Amino acid sequence: MSEVAVSSLESAAGAAVAGGRGRSGRRTLVARVGVVVLVALVPLALGTIDTEGQDFWLQAGVFAFAAMIAALGLTLLVGGAGQLSLAHSFFVAIGAYAYTYLSSATRGTGTTIASSIQGGFGLPTPVAMVGAVLIAGLAGLLFSPISSRLRGIYLGVASLGLVFVGLHVAFNAQKVSGGFNGRDVPDFNLLGFAFDTSPLSVLGVGFTRNSKLWYLGLACVVLAYVYYVNVLEGRPGRALRCLRDSEVAASVLGVNVVRYKAYAFTLSSMYAGLGGVILALAYHHIVPDTFGLGLTVSFLAMIVIGGLGSPGGALVGALFVTALPLLLAKYSDSLPFLAPTGSGGVTAAVAAQFIYGAAVILLLVFEPGGVAALARRVPRLASRLRRSPHSSTQKEAA
Amino acid sequence: MKDFVQFVFNGLSLGSIYALLALGFVVIFKATEVVNFAHGSILALGAYAISRFSFNSHIEFYLAVLLGVAIAALLAFVIERGLVRTMAGRSVIAVSIMTIGVDLIVRTETTRRIGVDVLTLGDPWRDGIVHVAGLTVPTARVWAIVTALVILAAFFAWFKFSSFGVAMRASAEDSETASLMGIRMGRISAVAWVLAGALAAVAGVFLTAFPSAGLDASTGDVALRAFPAAILGGLDSTGGAVVGGLIIGVAEVLTAGYQSDLTVLGRGFDQVMPYVVMVAVLLVRPTGLFGTREATRV
Amino acid sequence: MSGAASHPTLAVSGITVRFAGLTALDDVSFEVEPGTVHALIGPNGAGKSTMFNVLSGVYRPVAGSVSFGGVELVGLPPHAIAGLGVARTFQNIALFPAATVEENLMLGRHHLTRAGFIGAGLRLPFAIREDRRHRARVTEIAEFLGIGGLLQLPAGDLSYGDQKRVEMARALCVEPAILLLDEPVAGMDAAETGQVATAIRDIREGLGISILLVEHDMGLVMGIADRVTVLDFGRRIADGAPARVRSDPEVIRAYLGTGHNGAAAPAATPPSASSPPPVPSPADASPAWAWNENEEPPS
Repeated sequence: MSEVAVSSLESAAGAAVAGGRGRSGRRTLVARVGVVVLVALVPLALGTIDTEGQDFWLQAGVFAFAAMIAALGLTLLVGGAGQLSLAHSFFVAIGAYAYTYLSSATRGTGTTIASSIQGGFGLPTPVAMVGAVLIAGLAGLLFSPISSRLRGIYLGVASLGLVFVGLHVAFNAQKVSGGFNGRDVPDFNLLGFAFDTSPLSVLGVGFTRNSKLWYLGLACVVLAYVYYVNVLEGRPGRALRCLRDSEVAASVLGVNVVRYKAYAFTLSSMYAGLGGVILALAYHHIVPDTFGLGLTVSFLAMIVIGGLGSPGGALVGALFVTALPLLLAKYSDSLPFLAPTGSGGVTAAVAAQFIYGAAVILLLVFEPGGVAALARRVPRLASRLRRSPHSSTQKEAA
Repeated sequence: MKDFVQFVFNGLSLGSIYALLALGFVVIFKATEVVNFAHGSILALGAYAISRFSFNSHIEFYLAVLLGVAIAALLAFVIERGLVRTMAGRSVIAVSIMTIGVDLIVRTETTRRIGVDVLTLGDPWRDGIVHVAGLTVPTARVWAIVTALVILAAFFAWFKFSSFGVAMRASAEDSETASLMGIRMGRISAVAWVLAGALAAVAGVFLTAFPSAGLDASTGDVALRAFPAAILGGLDSTGGAVVGGLIIGVAEVLTAGYQSDLTVLGRGFDQVMPYVVMVAVLLVRPTGLFGTREATRV
Repeated sequence: MSGAASHPTLAVSGITVRFAGLTALDDVSFEVEPGTVHALIGPNGAGKSTMFNVLSGVYRPVAGSVSFGGVELVGLPPHAIAGLGVARTFQNIALFPAATVEENLMLGRHHLTRAGFIGAGLRLPFAIREDRRHRARVTEIAEFLGIGGLLQLPAGDLSYGDQKRVEMARALCVEPAILLLDEPVAGMDAAETGQVATAIRDIREGLGISILLVEHDMGLVMGIADRVTVLDFGRRIADGAPARVRSDPEVIRAYLGTGHNGAAAPAATPPSASSPPPVPSPADASPAWAWNENEEPPS
């Protein structure tokens, strides 16, 4: 108890880190832990509420977790360092394919059709996961002669090229990617605990493949988020934010601008890589078309909706952009304005595109801080309501 | 050798179309420092409108083109007035991402309307071919070159000599000083967007004409290949846009032409070639061939 | 911090800078002796800020050399120059407005700290200790400049004068051997100017740091500078002790010339140079007390 008091005193003296690990910081910490616990309980609750639709929700959740991790990486680059990248889907693809290639055993050697041979290293899946993240980072680093020398918007357009080069390679490198038809993704296995379809029951609660992946995804999101906040509040984050505002000022203060831009791009690629691994696990089978320009655009939509540079916003944005089309598709029957799939009318997928396209435009024009800024307004609004007693009693009555 | 000359010529004709698109990017960039990611969907919308006018409404082709160009220009104008302008003073990256949002909406709608069809625009050249000096050239591509030359010549003359062109160049140099000198930035920005929209629609006519199959859902993506053209020429260089367009066109056609000798690169490498060329150029010159190096201001 | 004796000399020789045919600096040479306050003055457009950009590595001259304790600075990137102990402020304040003063100052510690993407990201013990230690030093420096109470405020909310002082503090956080101050009192009233002058003297005397100063406020320059170099149209026209420079006919001409040329005049404060106020002591003696009484603030 006293130790805690001392350390909190010290952190108050040092004024802790910006964003606060002080008294108000503790409250946010509690709130964050609470959110994580709630999200962790969702699979259990789903089992009792909606047994039929359970797997749909769980899979949607795993997709959202994958998107969140990758979106954190992009918001670090765009919001944190002021560098625009349109190549995010490329690095997500690297993560997904690298994991698949590293963890798969070579198969198809017995068949006579050369194109059906798919290579692999057959590494343990945790090793493959780490390897995939490192390979994605390496790919980002290899791009650094360009990423570190180009400023913001030039980099955005130049990085667009990676998406197309990546798709080309994915279609043509049959042995790695399985080509047009794609290839299966090996199930994750952590020290004998398999994240697969084998039935698992803990204390009478059954776990499906997706509910196991839910926890894997959630754990990765938490780690990715904590790391993000630490980096941004620490020395590297200060340097990045400074070079975003003024490269000249940053450099005369001793920040190696070229190197930091390369770091930011590399780190952002590693986030994308981890997101790619989770995404691959969620899909269970990956095809090149998944990783096109559309994916890049949806990542941009996520971070804009969340508010550029805001890690919490990136999570919310990722949830929104991933869940929206799935929700619209699931309930398209009961939504009168939606046409059935394949009819050429406004289908769920089309409506989702409209909605998040509009969300991007409206937020950028009217609320550049995104959802993060909107969220900050809510408490202010609430306290204003509280201050005027009349309205507050009405609220309570209602 | 004959193949080579043929390929280069085809490349130049394709490149002249890219040049029109790249010029649109550059003009917008010079006026507003924004990269317009909605260019492809403006092109697709213009081309779709032309197709609809000439088939569903049986309007004369050239009139349909005029109407389609007007619609594309109008869309660009609406984007500029309604959105780009309201974001004045905001980071260029934010405004550029906003155009991605616009692209998402317009593209989704045109794609939905086109569906799985391949539409023709009703051009009079059809699959006609002319033989010039031993080369076989689609009539449409001859017109593409002629049209591009006329438009580019008119543009550069206008850009160089009209008071408007001078104002635009001045504003690209230093918008603050230019606006102090009484140049109305708002008008320059609007005209730049309208011009770029119109150019995109014109490019759309030739991109969908023979030897292309026609307008399909992915036509807008072709405009993306004009990005490398604009970037490698230098995003703020109008001349660079033209040179960049031609280089990209030639590189793409040569790669496709010699595909059988380049099997190691995989099938369809010509679609990727523009980006490879762009990256190669950027490695040597980070602001493109003719782009001005940013002077550091403190 | 080590004493003045160990600080190196900054020797500028033959620096020439051209922009698109325009010669911004033409063969300029001067030396900043260790532990002195050296002023770089001249009418607008004389090339003072350009010289600062050369010294800090932002611009690269076409000819000439800058030697700092025997190390050649020309050709080094700005961050390497900062690492050698050359810190600067900007004429237009370059703080992050949204971050607190403390965060702004911590940025000055960048090259003195090591925590990177692993140390900070994983909050390793060494990174936490380092952070704590440097925050303590930042607090010390802030208090030294009298802005200790502002540490937790967003830099953007401060008054202009306070922002200027925060920028100076941030440069000090680099633990420089030489401090380049670009117009530290521009736009300040007499009281604020006085505070800055005191701060500069404290820095020189308390910390032994050499200071190179670009300033239009002649009262400040004549009051605190040990040596003055005068630039005009990119050329060095005078160099020496303040009193000598002030009576130099070429200097007077340069200021009178621009002083009557409308556009250049308002930003500068030339009259004090053309009509020198009485100087009670020779410039070599500490003139610390003199300037405030003799110099009327411009407004």
